[in-house]
Amino acid sequence: MSAAVFDQIRTMASDLFGVPEERITADSSPQTLEAWDSIQHLNLVLALEEKFSVQLSPEEIEQMTNIGETAKLIESKLQATPR
Amino acid sequence: MAISIQPYRQEHEPAVEQFNRRLQRSSGDPDLVFSKTAIPRWLAPANHNPVWNEFFVALEGSTVRGAYGLKQEMVFVRGKGMQRVACYHHPLSEGIVDRSYASVGVLLARDALARQPFLYALGMGGYERPLPKMLKALGFSLTPIPFYFRVAHTATFLREMEALRQARWRALLMDVAAATGTGWLAIKSAQAVARLRGRPMNFVAEEVAEFSEWADDLWNQAKDSVSLAAVRDANTLRILYPPRVTNLRRLRVSRNSAAIGWAIVGERRKDPKFGKMRVGSIVDCWASPENAAAVVQAASQVLEKADVDLIVSNQSHQVWCRGLESAGFLKGPSTFLFAASRKLTELLQPLEQNRPSFHLTRADGDGLPANF
Repeated sequence: MSAAVFDQIRTMASDLFGVPEERITADSSPQTLEAWDSIQHLNLVLALEEKFSVQLSPEEIEQMTNIGETAKLIESKLQATPR
Repeated sequence: MAISIQPYRQEHEPAVEQFNRRLQRSSGDPDLVFSKTAIPRWLAPANHNPVWNEFFVALEGSTVRGAYGLKQEMVFVRGKGMQRVACYHHPLSEGIVDRSYASVGVLLARDALARQPFLYALGMGGYERPLPKMLKALGFSLTPIPFYFRVAHTATFLREMEALRQARWRALLMDVAAATGTGWLAIKSAQAVARLRGRPMNFVAEEVAEFSEWADDLWNQAKDSVSLAAVRDANTLRILYPPRVTNLRRLRVSRNSAAIGWAIVGERRKDPKFGKMRVGSIVDCWASPENAAAVVQAASQVLEKADVDLIVSNQSHQVWCRGLESAGFLKGPSTFLFAASRKLTELLQPLEQNRPSFHLTRADGDGLPANF
């Protein structure tokens, strides 16, 4: 997982969930972050799609079980997308 | 395991029952239940019916993790003609009680949009509730549908409201008090003043068993006065308000024997927020603009004769709002919202110009069986 993508997602999650960046790790998930409910999950999906110019399928949305998995997913989408 | 969203079939019923139990047990909310039956009790799909309900379940293996309903119907959009749309209703997700399923709510909403891009939701209980927040994030436009009330029995109303101490109603009464400057007991006089602005009208209201051709004539005569309305021709009305439905009364309003409009009135189910009060509702109505006030008066009179304590109505069209005001109704804060998907919003452009003539009532959406 690239540090650059992870850092960008961590910043995004920090803004969305109202949690300091240093508290957000690869393992941060809806179970560990109080503000990560279904609405914030949607907001995270929409923010990722806008920031990285990607479209997330239902299967990919399900893979976003924590920040680390989300970063891996976005990275693989970026690698698959011709730039 | 992957989530797959499929039409709700009979074989899913036991899993839906378990899903309901998990939601109720963990949330303590008895209202968090999805339909126990795969075939909708209200508006089950049938050959050639223009309006029907269909349900979908989100499955993880054989376990249900979410569900939602679509009410498929035809609407008239001025300048664009007829359009099939769907009402997104009763979305329920395991994410409400288990954060591992936080993604299910998004999957349900996106699945509904993929099935019907011209999607709307109605009601929802106010801007701060989760569903309107989610729909707003998905680009839906949100519009409150004005709420009106008229107190028929002031003493009962004040006693019940005082006993209930309902924040929403107290706020509403405070608004009335502020507007009149004379306190809560000014309700009756405020209504009387409002009613004086109206004028006595010549009409006859009769209860009918079902809608027939005269309703088609009214639909055709009046539909160009609205920018958006669910189809209310005789065929659709017979499906929505069949003769076997006895808790809703079908009123034909006429002048000199010619039909000028119709209304559906009924008594709302007992609801803790209304205490012991009997609450009548002008559920649905239709007429040309010049006859809207007469239909409101007719419907109100029928409900008053039925001895209700309070009459309520949600109406979005400015003509019907004026009709309610001229019949002595007061406007209260509304938590009844209309949310239109991006595609539907595009169809309704120019939105600011068209919004005041949307014809949306309590009969739209999915509220009929739940509230009456």
